[in-house]
Amino acid sequence: MRIGVLWNKLADPKNIPRLFAFSLGIILIIGLVVPLALNPDQLYVRPAPQEQIDEGLAIAPYDRGGEVLTQAGIINPQYPDNAASLGMITGYMSPLAQWVSSISPYFGTSIYSSPGGLIDEILYYTRGFDTILESSILMMSFIIASWLSVNYTMNRKNDGEEIRQDVKKAIKDSNNVAREVKANDVKARSKQLRRDN
Amino acid sequence: MDFVTLGGNLLGTIPLGDIVLYLTPFNLFLFAVLLGFTVLIALSKPETQVEATLHYLNNTEVKVGQKELKQRRFLSIVCGLASAGAMITGDLFNFTLFMALVGILNIGIVSAVKQTSVLNSAFNYGLIAMMCSLPLFGGAAIILASAGTLSLAVLSQMSASPMVVFGAVLMLIGILGESGVAPFFASKAEMFRTAGSPYIVIIHLSSLFIIVRAVEILLLVLW
Repeated sequence: MRIGVLWNKLADPKNIPRLFAFSLGIILIIGLVVPLALNPDQLYVRPAPQEQIDEGLAIAPYDRGGEVLTQAGIINPQYPDNAASLGMITGYMSPLAQWVSSISPYFGTSIYSSPGGLIDEILYYTRGFDTILESSILMMSFIIASWLSVNYTMNRKNDGEEIRQDVKKAIKDSNNVAREVKANDVKARSKQLRRDN
Repeated sequence: MDFVTLGGNLLGTIPLGDIVLYLTPFNLFLFAVLLGFTVLIALSKPETQVEATLHYLNNTEVKVGQKELKQRRFLSIVCGLASAGAMITGDLFNFTLFMALVGILNIGIVSAVKQTSVLNSAFNYGLIAMMCSLPLFGGAAIILASAGTLSLAVLSQMSASPMVVFGAVLMLIGILGESGVAPFFASKAEMFRTAGSPYIVIIHLSSLFIIVRAVEILLLVLW
């Protein structure tokens, strides 16, 4: 294949997502042989797996210690000076969560047991700016989608001229499709006939 | 590589909890240029294209309507601010979030255009932008898991392990796709073949600046 053909294929927007997906797949496959190991010295430290379960803690494996508003929990932020009262709400659980954890030893294994206080702390205290950005991404996509639907989808029934044009275009398109189908049909039939004879 | 070597003396930081924006002459310059350009865009009027008509003597005017203009101007201002934010952020995950924001705004700016070729390439770019969230956030997550930190100031002091290199390569392909650098240029280049220029140009400008910043970040992480 000449290289010019390749360049021309690269200039077609339709091929770009496929090329991108292909190269991403290659890199992910290469990633399978890269040695991956978790560094235990994380932003938010976690005890070793099973350690808390062996100790028999009620909210294992999510017990991070601390008492609400009196004693800080186990937490290891990057910049402790920027968040002075860090860890104070790490141990918070809702009354319902406290009740469930008092009657069941398996509270820590259910999805709603993930410690609410810690997540609030990460989302609104140490990494609050990320939360703002995430929600602004969502807001922008809602703005785009709602603007398009208000101005182009909902408003279209008032625009008689555009509807007429679109109907004309749809008729033309369906005629084209019908013609193509017919041509393909004829071609296939003649091919079949040739094969039969 | 130390970020003082790359960006010049540290002039100060803006602490936002665990996310610390740092101000060096290099980052501040990029930030100021983008803000200035955003102001220019906010004040300027969009261009109008004149197209010759086949078989007839008259010309057609491709114009941006009043309502569409307002929407587009709003989105391009936010796009300018988002890319300006990406210039001074000192946090890896923060940078990828800014990048994702810029990507969705780029689609939004051309979403109301009525030319099918532009919409088609915007759709294809949207597919890439969706795929890009995997390498962008995945790369940042892998770097976090391996280094235990997302702060660029701390990351620049560490030596790169194979896992960090893999995370950086993942992030790089995410950035290449999202900002439409060769060989993934076609879908993005076709997107701005339409009227309403200063608002369209921010698509191009934001990806240029983000590439410059991404090179700096990769140097910080890898060296």
